[in-house]
Amino acid sequence: MSSPPPAESRSTESATPRLGDLDPWDEALLAALERNPGERLLTLPELAEASNFSTTLLEVVIREGFLTPITEEPEPLFELSDADSLKAGLALVEAGLPLGELLDLARRTDTAMRPIAEQAIEVFARYVRDSVEANTTSDEEAVRKLVSAFTTMLPATGRLVDRHFRRLLIDGARRRLAGDT
Amino acid sequence: MTIRIESTDLTIEAVLERRPHTVWISPEMTLAGFGARLRLDPGVGPGRFERARLMFAEWVASEGAHPAPDIGPFGFASFTFDEQVAGSIIVIPEVVVASDRKSSWLIRHGAEDNEWSDSPLGTTAVKPDRPRFAGSSLPDHLWLEAVAAAIKRIEEGQLQKVVLARDHALWSKEPFVLDRVLDKLHQRFPDCMVYLVDGLVGASPELLIRRRGESVTSLALAGSARRDPDPVVDDQLGSELLASSKDLHEHALASESVERVLERVCQSLQRPNRPGLLKLANVQHLATPFAGNLTESHDVLDLVGMLHPTAAVGGTPTLDAIEMIRALEGMERGRYAGPVGIFDLAGDGEFAIALRCAEISGARARLFAGAGLVQGSVPEDELEETRIKLQAMLSALE
Repeated sequence: MSSPPPAESRSTESATPRLGDLDPWDEALLAALERNPGERLLTLPELAEASNFSTTLLEVVIREGFLTPITEEPEPLFELSDADSLKAGLALVEAGLPLGELLDLARRTDTAMRPIAEQAIEVFARYVRDSVEANTTSDEEAVRKLVSAFTTMLPATGRLVDRHFRRLLIDGARRRLAGDT
Repeated sequence: MTIRIESTDLTIEAVLERRPHTVWISPEMTLAGFGARLRLDPGVGPGRFERARLMFAEWVASEGAHPAPDIGPFGFASFTFDEQVAGSIIVIPEVVVASDRKSSWLIRHGAEDNEWSDSPLGTTAVKPDRPRFAGSSLPDHLWLEAVAAAIKRIEEGQLQKVVLARDHALWSKEPFVLDRVLDKLHQRFPDCMVYLVDGLVGASPELLIRRRGESVTSLALAGSARRDPDPVVDDQLGSELLASSKDLHEHALASESVERVLERVCQSLQRPNRPGLLKLANVQHLATPFAGNLTESHDVLDLVGMLHPTAAVGGTPTLDAIEMIRALEGMERGRYAGPVGIFDLAGDGEFAIALRCAEISGARARLFAGAGLVQGSVPEDELEETRIKLQAMLSALE
């Protein structure tokens, strides 16, 4: 059977610029994108235990590109928050959603959201980053303003998307219930 | 009671409007049966195909049929996949309308024609409810684990191929309407063999065996890709399938299992050197047709017994694959993936492999789909393949 788009095409891995190659404000943004250095990372078996996923199922999620190790050296390591995402997926399955349907929804969500995410990054770069660069008098001020904007906007975006999708689900469910008892 | 055979000008469409209880539609023959004159249980074990033939012949003899009818009488047969599992059945309807596309006949097997209506009943008036999911014998995520375990054993060299299937149980607020299901299947899969035997309804592309006198034909299918509405993408998917070493390997095992049997019993067995593509509404398959002439007398049920289970639904080696299916699949296949078809007293007939099917009983149904696993198979791809196959059958019940 032909596969869905290969995991590589959905991977969030990309060419990461090295610190020192960038403008100071971009270096600061890049640093803000990095994980907390003190955060504990999990090996694959540890993640399996923390999430109650089997190794087989974890390998599927990784191949599908929905879970990416934060580093491959010295072995694949994952963020602790990955376990929470996996538990959320498992909760859907345990509530009765067949895994095949969940994977199909996840693939289509990924396909639909990827260009929107790219557009959101472009909008940030054009209207926030460029504007800060144009309207600050020092590198320090630019760094402070950009990092502040980023750390405010990222969780705000997450809340907006979560809220909007939740609203779509509730409205759709209401319509469905109104027409089908 | 003498079996009476009369010419008729009834079209098959007109016959289907009379809501037959038993149906076989293939590119060569269409049979619609009404009522059940007799239901025979050929039992379990390796002798079940021969017993089916003997039981049918005994019934014909007891009815005092004339010795050389133009056509029929016919038995409709559906066998369980696993010879150790009960549930195989031979149905002999009261009345059969048969057509070979040139002529049609009305074959009366019974003393009374009370199951036969001379006028169309029309479509069922009750608006059907939608099919509703009721669960699976093995939930998806556990089936995925079974598939991963099977692939691991294949990669360790324990066997070359195994087919693992899964099921969806459905329920509805109203009984499922079989004539609607048949009509949808026939419309959507015009190149498939559409069948209804004792609640098993489906549309199979896979011809296990067709026998007409000395001539036999078969079609081996294995290796699949999805269809795409864009013809360019669809052709690309087909080209990739034809070049896929994993799918070609899977197909070769299936076609070799057919060839090994037909080579033993045929002279001048013909088959193309490379598989072609069979494009159905929802999926495209690698396909190898076989054609030959029998060198010795084997009736169609003999041939079914020799061929079943092919590697397209069992695996390679066969016995190891069957053991693995029993150990890992987590469900009882029943008549899914078993031989289903028609046969007559002369030993001719047509049998498909019961794929793309549902077992329907009133407002309950059970759908099945399977996937062939070989070295290089990926569990989530097989899950997706079976999901697409299940959706095709689900849409016929909507």
